[in-house]
Amino acid sequence: MALGNILDPTALRSDDITSPGPDAGILAGKTVGFRLDEIWRAWDWMAEYWADEFRALGAEVVFWRSHQGRTGAEGERVAAQLDQFLDSIDIAVVGLANCGSCTGWTVRDALCAAERGLPTTAVCTEVFLELAQNLAKRGGRSGLRMHVLPYPLNEKQREEVDQVARDHFIGLMETMGVALEGAREAVR
Amino acid sequence: MSRAIRSASSASSDKVVNLRDCGPEGCDIDWLSSERHETEIDDVMEFTRYALDRGWGDGLPLIPPTEARVRQFLSKNNRYADEVICTLPPADGECTVEKIAINAVMAGARPESLPLIIAALEGMADPNFELFGQNTTTAPVFPLVLVNGPIRNKLDIPYRHGCLGGARTDATAIGRAIRLIIRNVAGQEANVTSQTTFGSPGRISGILFGEWEERSPWAPLAERRGVKGDAATVYGTMGTMNVLDTTSQDPREFLEMTGKSLGYIGANGFSPAMPFAETMVAINPVWAELIHAQIPAMEDVQEILWQFASVDADYLTPKHRQQLEAQERIIGGRAYLSVEPKDILVVVCGGTGGLHATGFHSFGSCLTQTRAIVPGPELEG
Repeated sequence: MALGNILDPTALRSDDITSPGPDAGILAGKTVGFRLDEIWRAWDWMAEYWADEFRALGAEVVFWRSHQGRTGAEGERVAAQLDQFLDSIDIAVVGLANCGSCTGWTVRDALCAAERGLPTTAVCTEVFLELAQNLAKRGGRSGLRMHVLPYPLNEKQREEVDQVARDHFIGLMETMGVALEGAREAVR
Repeated sequence: MSRAIRSASSASSDKVVNLRDCGPEGCDIDWLSSERHETEIDDVMEFTRYALDRGWGDGLPLIPPTEARVRQFLSKNNRYADEVICTLPPADGECTVEKIAINAVMAGARPESLPLIIAALEGMADPNFELFGQNTTTAPVFPLVLVNGPIRNKLDIPYRHGCLGGARTDATAIGRAIRLIIRNVAGQEANVTSQTTFGSPGRISGILFGEWEERSPWAPLAERRGVKGDAATVYGTMGTMNVLDTTSQDPREFLEMTGKSLGYIGANGFSPAMPFAETMVAINPVWAELIHAQIPAMEDVQEILWQFASVDADYLTPKHRQQLEAQERIIGGRAYLSVEPKDILVVVCGGTGGLHATGFHSFGSCLTQTRAIVPGPELEG
């Protein structure tokens, strides 16, 4: 037995922003942007339901559908679209972290939005929460806001998904930092 | 500014080692910047347990990366320890030559393998390789490394019998070094940053093999991709799939059997989530010769494999078909594993017993990268 020094093999970044970033605040007059993807139909339904609720609170809502293909010419096109989308909104709701790589891209896109100073919330299903948190931390922003949905979600029928959307709307707004005075009463 | 310093290793044959900006008074400084940890360094199993507790290991024995060992590794290469080769996702850790050396020492890789490891990592770090998705996905994907050029023999990279695993060679440690770098620098860890459902044995020491260029009737894969000589090609593979063919007699039948075997609907290439997927196929040298005699042009070989690596759209489940149709990926009533024939990458390797081909299905959405393997810059003094 002999003690000695060995060199650390890791190179993980040590910087970290623990702040969740700015609150969404009052929604009236603002544009809420939903980042969708092309895999999860349940996420489309959730976003549609929540969009109606946001509109009822005086917000405008826009959607942008991301793609898994982030390489080559297609990747450049998607990156440009993401830029345009983030330029057009005041508040970002980014999802859905519901598989490994889509959790990765959800968190990456959410970090892009947060880096611009937008109030940003990533949405994940509970199985992928830990992964999303780890990726946000490794991405230098452990404070990224995350709203957690039940899992499995995509396997549910439309009416079941609508019920999940209904049940989670107040919680989503709390995560986003929406000014809730008067908002609770307006919710369906 | 650059200054020459002498390696601290006791090995007298070691070269002078350089470091940028090491100060006006020479380089009597600590040029390895990694954090030190005091631990047991003589007992490999004790160190392996220590490393495993810290998340640095894969469960197999690790060699303690002492300062002397790391310095010795570096002293046999012409690279600066502080040179940043790339950043690797998802952790976006800076992959310096020093970090590569530390992980290579732990894996047991030879110092001469550093240029190959660097070339492979440079390819993996290209955004078009989509390492971020590969390292976080539920899929079992991992980067395969194909080596071309004379360096195959210098490093004993296997390209004959058992080249994809099981050949007697210390090159296995090179693949393992790359995997440790993915773990310790890229930060990939199952159930932490990687949601891989099953993982893969290939995530321990990778798949690192050569092309049997001397028996291939076609130009080496790297050369066909624009890089002559020593080169590393990285490809995001889901693993290996064996194709047995004891019945075909005609070269076209070999390709038909192989193509049809590749086209199973659970492959990522058929996923609506993936806009495209390359597909790698390893053909044994016996078949390669037969095929080339009748179908000399590689483009024609790719075309035939591509054509057969497809399924009748009616064979898909209704929802699967619906999604592919929405993406206009049903062409003439068929769904194709790869979008274009050029996306079928053919290499020649394996034993002379023939009878088998190997398919490597791709993760999809990642573009294969090829990089020249080059030694570092000349040293001063």
